[in-house]
Amino acid sequence: MSTSRSEAIPALYFDGRSARPHAAQLWLEGDVLRLEAADLSRSDPVMSLRVSEPMGRAPRLVSFPDGAHAEIRAHEQFARLLQQSGHVDRATVRFAFDARWVLASVGLLLLLVWAGGRWGLPWAAERVAPLVPRLAVEAMSTQALALIDERLLEPSTLDADVTARLAETLAARTDVPHRLYFRSGGPVGANAFALPDGALIVTDELVALAPDDEAVIAVLMHELGHVELRHGLRMMLQGSAVALIMTGYFGDVSNLLATAPTYIIQSGYSRDMEREADDYARRKLLAQGRSPAVLADMLERLASAHRDGGDGPSGWLSSHPDVAERVAALRERSAPR
Amino acid sequence: MDNPFLAVAPPEPDPFIAGTPRREPLTFTGRGREYFGIWIVNLVLSVVTLGIYSAWAKVRRLQYFHRNTSLAGSAFDYHGDPRAILKGRIIGLVLLLAYNLSFDVSLWLGIVTLLLLAIVMPRLLMRSLRFRARNTSWRGLRFGFDGGLREAYSVFLLWPVLSVFTAYLLAPIWHQRLKTYQFRHARFGATRFAIQLRESSFYKIYGVALLVGMAAFLLALVATVGVVAAAGTLGEGRATPLMLGLAVVGLMWLLLALLVWPYVSARLQNLVWNNLTLGPHRFQSAVRVRTLYLITFTNLLATVFTLGLFMPFATIRLLRYRIESVTLLAGGPLDDFLAAPGQDVAATGEETADLFDVDIAL
Ligand SMILES: [Zn+2]
Repeated sequence: MSTSRSEAIPALYFDGRSARPHAAQLWLEGDVLRLEAADLSRSDPVMSLRVSEPMGRAPRLVSFPDGAHAEIRAHEQFARLLQQSGHVDRATVRFAFDARWVLASVGLLLLLVWAGGRWGLPWAAERVAPLVPRLAVEAMSTQALALIDERLLEPSTLDADVTARLAETLAARTDVPHRLYFRSGGPVGANAFALPDGALIVTDELVALAPDDEAVIAVLMHELGHVELRHGLRMMLQGSAVALIMTGYFGDVSNLLATAPTYIIQSGYSRDMEREADDYARRKLLAQGRSPAVLADMLERLASAHRDGGDGPSGWLSSHPDVAERVAALRERSAPR
Repeated sequence: MDNPFLAVAPPEPDPFIAGTPRREPLTFTGRGREYFGIWIVNLVLSVVTLGIYSAWAKVRRLQYFHRNTSLAGSAFDYHGDPRAILKGRIIGLVLLLAYNLSFDVSLWLGIVTLLLLAIVMPRLLMRSLRFRARNTSWRGLRFGFDGGLREAYSVFLLWPVLSVFTAYLLAPIWHQRLKTYQFRHARFGATRFAIQLRESSFYKIYGVALLVGMAAFLLALVATVGVVAAAGTLGEGRATPLMLGLAVVGLMWLLLALLVWPYVSARLQNLVWNNLTLGPHRFQSAVRVRTLYLITFTNLLATVFTLGLFMPFATIRLLRYRIESVTLLAGGPLDDFLAAPGQDVAATGEETADLFDVDIAL
């Protein structure tokens, strides 16, 4: 495979020691690249050379082993020479300059982002959640509680014996380490939250809405399900991962990680998580000789309270969009099998 | 013979005897459509490899930018080793995580982490300046950076701390020191750059920026309060102080990006390049604030309306304008540059990327 001297390609040659350009000619003789300029000439085996990727109108660069290089702007002629030498561009290069591949890449990217968000992230979060050190979980939960108290909730106005009685009952009914907090709900109305470290927050409004203690306990069983199954931690990990990716993509917003705790409040749990927590509560209640129908009733009361009150989307409602479905599932399997 | 270079290549009559410098403008041949392909393939591969490919992506991106930038008929080139960049990114991520999480765990761990960062960061930043310079070349000669560690601690630690403790009153001096450090120790081959920057120039730029920034803040505040008030009278939900604050901050960032950034970056580029010399050569940078405003605004608009797909086109537009605003005023033949002694290209090439090579974006 050779081109001839007459098909030589114009190039600028630099020796790597000075910035002086040498107007040169390039051609192929078998497996050897020949270069000739007014005051120098060289022959190098093609194998010893490196050729830069094609990049639009940018010159192609042929690098010689001794640090010299040639700059070539006669793109068509050089492409022919490369073809004769058997050189093949890397796949990534061919993709980047082929419209079909570029379009396919856009499609693939959207698909990847969607699939990653739908399955990849939850899958990874579920596996990482058990590895998060207890210390970090507690620190984040403490921070989240402080944030909730500062911006969302007011101190409880419930009687001390009511709260003490509820705390005692709950402690007797579960082995999951937890701490029970009562707060006045303000904008979130009748509601309950669980933080990853086992802190449970119940609003006065929820206690008022419940017909008896057992209804409150049933709701707390559901919240304990979120704790035991690490739902809050998983949502937070997912949120942090998204924040990290966004940071990397859009540049730096340095304190994004510090906002992680707010994810617990801002984004509800997924439907699957709610179903899992319902199921957890159902099994526990059945094992304790209680009826899961109490939780179903409470769900309905909460839903209608939020509907009537006209409160904006908040914890229980926004993350419990399919209340009817969940109520049905709880009632259907409310008898021990 | 149709060698296009024979026309421009030496031998040429020496035009420098007359004493008028020859103008050699930088030219940029990158195109949005081409860069879009590189960008999207980079993005897909980075996503698929969970970010690992991003180092290789960065090298390809910088190669595209460098090789499409020409001076006096010759292109620049970039030689960075992706492995060094990957290492830099991992270090950066670890440091960021450590900084963000340590204070959550305990105050003491936080303080220890902060001290550690203070010791390590200046060294890393100095090395990454060196990395970037050494991996840039023109006509086969590498750039270089010989800034020392002592000055790195002054520029990357002492001055930032001083400017924080003076409520950023000294920040313009910090920036002046930083730019001086960055360029005074830079060289092309064996030829040193020299730079003369006055503190007062930086104060002037930041003074105007501060006024514009304050106007942006007021504008953001008024706009947000107006919107919230309008929504309130319509009875649509209640606005919490948190939401209000977030809206003001978000809008302010947007206005800062649109109003302050173009001004500061235009003025800074002109200031630095117009005071820079390389041997007998000088530079001229003529970025116009007005044009940069126009480019930034239209870029943002197009990027938002295409859900980010315009981003590579925006990058190219901005880069072309900023690069082509620079002209080299040659005070002698450009062929006379020599490589730094004992630093032939092959020895510093990719094959021997040393263990301490890192690249951390500033
Ligand atoms: Zn729930």
